[in-house]
Amino acid sequence: MKPDLLANYEDQVWELAGLMPGTEGLRMRALNAATEYGLPGKRDEKWRYSNMRALRDAIFSQPLAAKNMPSLPAAIAVETSASLVFVNGRFNEDLSDMGDLWQAAQVRPLANHLMSNMDRANELVPGDDAMTCLNTALMRDGMVLSVPAGVEIDDPVEIVHIMTDSDGAGTHLRHMIELGEGAAITLLERYVGDGSHYWTNSVLQARISEGARFQHIRLQEEGAAAQHTGKVFANIGTGASYRATTINIGGALSRFEANVRLLIDDASASIDGVALAGTGQSHDTYTEINHLMPTTTSDQIFRTIADSRGKTSFQGKVSVAKDAQKVTADQSFKALVFDNTAEANAKPELEILADDVKCSHGATVGALDDKAIFYLTSRGIDPITARQMLVEAFTADALQAIAHDDIKTALMERISDWMTERAHKPVLQEH
Amino acid sequence: MVDFSTNMTLEKDKEKMLNIKGLHVQVDGTKIIKGLDLKVNAGEVHAIMGLNGAGKSTLANTIAGRADYAVTAGTIEFCGKDLTALEPHERVGEGIFLGFQYPVEIPGVSNLNFMRTSLNSVRKYNGLDAMSAAEFMKLVRAKANDLKMDPEMLKRFVNVGFSGGEKKRNEMVQMALLNPKLAVLDETDSGLDIDALRTVSEGINAQRSDDTAILLITHYQRLLSYVQPDFVHVMIDGKIVKSGGKDLALELEEKGYAAVA
Repeated sequence: MKPDLLANYEDQVWELAGLMPGTEGLRMRALNAATEYGLPGKRDEKWRYSNMRALRDAIFSQPLAAKNMPSLPAAIAVETSASLVFVNGRFNEDLSDMGDLWQAAQVRPLANHLMSNMDRANELVPGDDAMTCLNTALMRDGMVLSVPAGVEIDDPVEIVHIMTDSDGAGTHLRHMIELGEGAAITLLERYVGDGSHYWTNSVLQARISEGARFQHIRLQEEGAAAQHTGKVFANIGTGASYRATTINIGGALSRFEANVRLLIDDASASIDGVALAGTGQSHDTYTEINHLMPTTTSDQIFRTIADSRGKTSFQGKVSVAKDAQKVTADQSFKALVFDNTAEANAKPELEILADDVKCSHGATVGALDDKAIFYLTSRGIDPITARQMLVEAFTADALQAIAHDDIKTALMERISDWMTERAHKPVLQEH
Repeated sequence: MVDFSTNMTLEKDKEKMLNIKGLHVQVDGTKIIKGLDLKVNAGEVHAIMGLNGAGKSTLANTIAGRADYAVTAGTIEFCGKDLTALEPHERVGEGIFLGFQYPVEIPGVSNLNFMRTSLNSVRKYNGLDAMSAAEFMKLVRAKANDLKMDPEMLKRFVNVGFSGGEKKRNEMVQMALLNPKLAVLDETDSGLDIDALRTVSEGINAQRSDDTAILLITHYQRLLSYVQPDFVHVMIDGKIVKSGGKDLALELEEKGYAAVA
């Protein structure tokens, strides 16, 4: 039986509405909708590769203010134009560095934004499933960033989410990004946490106006026991672009969804990703790209690696509307598995109502090529380095959209470190 | 006073570059090499000839240390060391190079990065500092030029989209960079047109010296008219059945393996 979300979370809605007066209507409508959708089960096609039992079986409380800081994975060494830190779901002013971003753009925590004018609540995407509706019902904080027309911000804006001492807590963050005409920004989102059993449920909504460029790098390195669900809603205007690179390494279970709408001619999106699933981990990506107008383009490149009893999944749905001619949509999924207990799932889905389009998709699952490893070692390269070189080559395409070389290098190092931790493991031989 | 003992040792080391005794090798449970003896001294070029399936490539891969090639009996010593105790990359560090019959294509890894990582790995093994990118570029361009390889090919992915001849030239550039004590060249002449054969042969001849040895594995005589061997061995069914000078290769070409063996 599906749990009664209304009964489970109504108290929290009223508590949060007390903190942010005026949000109660929005929250209650969202909670009712969430209850209606129900938490996904195995029979929900969109969720077939993720076992959401941990979320169904528990009621997650609001996280408490942090007492101790956990030891964090190394920073992604980059110059940032601002770094916003959220600890246990709350904006932490002391740890944040607003740099000089405020001079070029409007940036503030969600609570302040909503409180300044309750009409702004209408700008919030209410949600399209139980997770995102719960996010609307239970959101407490987030970043609202608005970049005026013509303003290009070179250094990335960083958002760091930290969870600590949060057994049984669920945090629902809502970020809103708005880019004016011709504006440009790079957002680096990081999720980290300690070993407690918590749930991160975040939503990022972006509106990208004509000719604007939004580069989004999302690095998920949650604590080992965490459940992570995240969703991006992106609306993309004429000649504008959204480039997302999602890296999933942490958590017991992660689910990332992108809902992209290419609204007007020449809008383009690329959604790429790398997922590394250690033993017992599951990383699931679901993308939905809607080509609503002609000459819009999309490109998706996913590379995943699964260790013994690790699992990676990808479902990519591309829809091309009637009369949306000259659309180009490409999808490529490649998975490496360490042995035959590792699992890789891929399911492309095309729904094409126009007749003059170029759509492609491909999926492969395999092992590291032992012939290539022998070739490299027969040139004096040690086997650990050899495997790293091959994995670097394997994941390179999925990182190519990242314009900042230092971010790309740092992400490559993360992947390489992950391989080194598993250096002793044999890799399935292809025969 | 002259220390004769040191000189004696050097002479002895030279003699014993590669010493294979009673070698038996299995691949996937099948016996391929069945009691093979071979001695290669510094300064010598040996050719091993034989038909397909005789075990020539298995011998080359066993010397290089391929994981699925199991030595079930016998010994392989290289400069006095037990080679079978070393990993493939350590064997390269000791000075062994295997030229592949079918060089492997590695999409996503640039030839330059591959060669530089290779050279610096071998340097590190021998206690030398890594070569800088600039220094390496100068060296690799010179070697590519010697072997008439288009420098553009250095930037491409390892062997991806290379013709048969280009792959073999690429092998020779790698050999020239590593400057091995012992080069084991597995069918390096296969798939080459006459110009490429000439260039590759020049590459092999440039590798000849009093301190280095070369083991050529081939089933045609034609390479041996460009690279003259000191010894020719005939391999049939996992054993060396006959050894001789370079004339043996001509005799094989004329009369066939059955008559010679």
